[in-house]
Amino acid sequence: MTVADIKGDANSARRRRAAYVALRLSGVLLAVLVLGHFVATHVTTDVADTDSRFIDQRWATALWLVWDGVMLAATLGHAVLGLWAVIADYTAGRRRRIWRVVLLCGAGAVLVGGMTLLWLAATAS
Amino acid sequence: MSVAQFVFFCGFALVAVAIVAFSVVVVRSARRDDGGPFVSRSLVARLARPGRDRAELQRWAFYLHRVSGLGLFAFLCLHVGDVSLYVISREIYDEVHQVYGSVPMRFAEVGLLFGLLFHTANGLRLVAVDLVDLGLTGSTRALYGVLGVSVVGTLAGAVFILGPVIV
Repeated sequence: MTVADIKGDANSARRRRAAYVALRLSGVLLAVLVLGHFVATHVTTDVADTDSRFIDQRWATALWLVWDGVMLAATLGHAVLGLWAVIADYTAGRRRRIWRVVLLCGAGAVLVGGMTLLWLAATAS
Repeated sequence: MSVAQFVFFCGFALVAVAIVAFSVVVVRSARRDDGGPFVSRSLVARLARPGRDRAELQRWAFYLHRVSGLGLFAFLCLHVGDVSLYVISREIYDEVHQVYGSVPMRFAEVGLLFGLLFHTANGLRLVAVDLVDLGLTGSTRALYGVLGVSVVGTLAGAVFILGPVIV
């Protein structure tokens, strides 16, 4: 084993530890954000009343725009980190790389689409 | 049913297919690679015994955590899509959104709430296991709490979600 190998191992261990911690921190954050979102759209307001006028009012305040933006980014980060490990468990070799590309492209598309949506909604009014 | 509602319905069907397909992958791999008892009479007898044998439940919580996680991600993709209609056309958004208030969709929302509550409570349990080193028996007891919170929370939520259409 060369010095480069040891250094590579240390780097990869640090990366894995960072991913492990980020998965849990984003999870704790989402416990508040997602359950709060569900309560707002199903308990305090009946789901049938969450129409476009409901969104007008909601996205008129910066709090809910920031809430939804942070929630979207944290959810996608959490999903990528979690499914990254899931893919490693069920696939190997070429199929593993393909599924990871699919995951990154899918999550990236949802992130770009969702953030564009929030941006357009925030600037339209 | 309008065209936009039909497209939403197809998207919802895709989410359901993804959940079922992934469950099959998880359960087949569990049977092949992980060993241990499969769902059978002997497993149920084992779980009925108090003590460490019940830690076997944690393995099934792990599988349910994965399946619920993938299901929530798949639903998120659909949900960002349908809310995006808001900036394209408010009429189409409202049309598609009527589906959310329909009776079958409300039952699906109760299922969504169970997935959310289980994934959240079980995830917090996993964080707790790391932080305070609960051990095998303690983490199994915490899992009873997770299941209790999920079931009670889902029933309480169901009153709000199904109440307006059933009563």
